[in-house]
Amino acid sequence: MDLKALKTQESKRKISKGYMWALFCAVFWGIWYLPGTVVWVLNPFDEMYKIIAGTSGDAESLVVTAALITAFNALTVMLALMLWNGVLGKFGELGRTLKEFNPCSKWFFLASIFGGPIAILGSFMAMGFIGGAFAAVAALLYPVIGSVLAYYWYGEKISKRAATGIIIIILGGITIFGGGVMTELATGKIPWIGYLGGLMAAAGWGIEGAIAGKGLDISEPDVGLTLRFLGENIIWWIIIVPILAIVGFPMYSFALQAFEPLTLLVLIFAGITFGFCYVCWYKSFPLIGVGRGQGIGNLYGLFAIIFIFLFFGEIPEWTILVGGTLCVIGSFTMFTEETSALETLRGE
Amino acid sequence: MTGKRPIKFRILELFLDGEEHWNYEIVPKIQKEYNMKGNYGRDSINFDIIELASGGMLKDVEQKVDEEGIYKKGFLLHKYIITDFGRVRGSDACIRYV
Repeated sequence: MDLKALKTQESKRKISKGYMWALFCAVFWGIWYLPGTVVWVLNPFDEMYKIIAGTSGDAESLVVTAALITAFNALTVMLALMLWNGVLGKFGELGRTLKEFNPCSKWFFLASIFGGPIAILGSFMAMGFIGGAFAAVAALLYPVIGSVLAYYWYGEKISKRAATGIIIIILGGITIFGGGVMTELATGKIPWIGYLGGLMAAAGWGIEGAIAGKGLDISEPDVGLTLRFLGENIIWWIIIVPILAIVGFPMYSFALQAFEPLTLLVLIFAGITFGFCYVCWYKSFPLIGVGRGQGIGNLYGLFAIIFIFLFFGEIPEWTILVGGTLCVIGSFTMFTEETSALETLRGE
Repeated sequence: MTGKRPIKFRILELFLDGEEHWNYEIVPKIQKEYNMKGNYGRDSINFDIIELASGGMLKDVEQKVDEEGIYKKGFLLHKYIITDFGRVRGSDACIRYV
């Protein structure tokens, strides 16, 4: 085979690998909404929600319960990732990268702030207050934020096509949020906290992707990801959960009750799907760029709706279906680019 | 201090001399320093180089087919040079240790 053919083949292979990782991310991410929705009706979280709602009101109770669920989610994700790094033999690299606070770890900890207490907490809030399908589809807006940030911050190229995709996704977002609010205006009761959660998910994940791209370019994705979740566990278990306990919420008594077989099983299921969705997500970035990695990962919205329909038999509102479809079309527009344009992702 | 810093830092550091290097020169060097023998270690280091290149820190300046099998027979060999962006990122990460 001649040099030119071999070059084209190699570049194609690299890009298709990047897309493959992004697609796996979408599948795992979509599945995550199953345990994420189920966990709300399991002991001790349903009990906790009722008890706190009795004293502090629905909204506060929802956020506090979501905080504990997100904290457990972070814990099980960390377990899944430690296993993953062990299999890949990357504990050494993990230690080496952790020590490099300034160039690397700093960014991962910053990413974990936007990913954890903003995006994941927001998702659980949206799942608890409105539903899994809404939570999944609302977060579909995040690549818009990710791409724009990556463009202004470190000059990642946005082609005309990608810009078109972004506009379509924004239209989808308006349909999802606007449509939902319109329908509920008629009933007179709007679950604002759920909508806020949806927005938090979109903004948090978009910012996380752009920040992570900063430390990620000089470290290994598997390792970077584990450090990002180490950061999140510290935020939840050392900062937020103790603070909520000091303020007077019964965090620890409910946390201890979570150690029963069914609840643990669902939490571990959530950890595995979410952990691997992140592994795939981070792996795709260096190969196809943050914007595109997030664009394809966006297909998770579609997968989530399908899985929720298959397992719970729920058919979402038409606004969610139409908005979700627009978001997926937008994602496809972003990623069906000429491969030659992808050879170098950043301007020189 | 070698063997104690993230692998991509070390790769960038090797390129900070501003010279062009072939991947088959860099990879065995890292394999030896980090004690990563075997094909798995080799491919994972090479993947790190690919990631650095697609991140715009290294530039792929020349390719040739590995006909004799000095690295991986029948595959492409790549020669890279550090970019300005790579120099900035590499200096942030490495210089204070050099």
